[in-house]
Amino acid sequence: MNQPDQHLEDIKVIKKIMEESSRFLSLSGLSGIIAGLLALAGAVVANLIISGTPGAEEWYSRPFADEATGTRTILLLLTDMAVVLVLSLAAAVIFSSRKARQTGRSAWTPVTRRMLTSLLLPLITGGLFTLMTLSRVPANVTVASTLIFYGLAVISAGKFTFGEIHWLGVLEVVTGLICLLLPRWSVFIWAFGFGIIHIGYGLFMHLRYKG
Amino acid sequence: MKRMLENFNKAFESRVRLGIMSVLAVNTSMDFISLRETLEVTDGNLASHLRALEEAGYISMEKSFINRKPNTKYNITEEGMDSFRRHIKALEDLINKQ
Repeated sequence: MNQPDQHLEDIKVIKKIMEESSRFLSLSGLSGIIAGLLALAGAVVANLIISGTPGAEEWYSRPFADEATGTRTILLLLTDMAVVLVLSLAAAVIFSSRKARQTGRSAWTPVTRRMLTSLLLPLITGGLFTLMTLSRVPANVTVASTLIFYGLAVISAGKFTFGEIHWLGVLEVVTGLICLLLPRWSVFIWAFGFGIIHIGYGLFMHLRYKG
Repeated sequence: MKRMLENFNKAFESRVRLGIMSVLAVNTSMDFISLRETLEVTDGNLASHLRALEEAGYISMEKSFINRKPNTKYNITEEGMDSFRRHIKALEDLINKQ
């Protein structure tokens, strides 16, 4: 290798190492689309569960875990949410590992761990907050808090992956705040936040970064 | 040519050192094991290059214990950042001169 070639190669190596050591680049757009579709299905199921309970029109003004709602309904709703969450996470893990393999990168790196830590701290806090206030706040506040905490977790993790992810987080937080203003539309806003926004972002990332 | 080579830093000629500087330039700090995983080099190789860069004053080291296991963290120094920037600039100038 002659000298100038080597310098060019040096610059390429520097750029590659800087990118790969500070950002998780295997995040898959496809898993975003799948998470969005799962969320839409979950919202449809939630709507069916809610509409079958007495006083369904006003459900959002009562706490989720209310005596009037009944234990069965509460358990059904929580199961619905848990299924959507677990399947979405599985899709993220499976498709991101696949993308890492295809691009010849390793998926489990120090920056992956940093990203997960900054994602999970706000996310687990939000999960605990939601569960601990389930019987105390109106249902629309519970719905809004899932969107807001998820958005904050995404903003926090966004520092360690593609820059566009930051704006996904901001959108989710804004959607959550709107949910507080329009309680009647809680289920639709939740479906928009976790469903439509994820599908849109997933498509955009998939086309832009091919995977 | 001589003026351009002024900023071309001999300390960064090795790929491993270039790698260490690249990682520490964009990450606030990184421990030995994470550096080894990121750069995919052997313990001994990494340790000797880290020592050389530390002796040159380009990186600093911080030893601590996590669960009674020793943990060594590395940071880039201000001097290291400056020299690394100048080195990249020199590389770019050399490429553009062709």
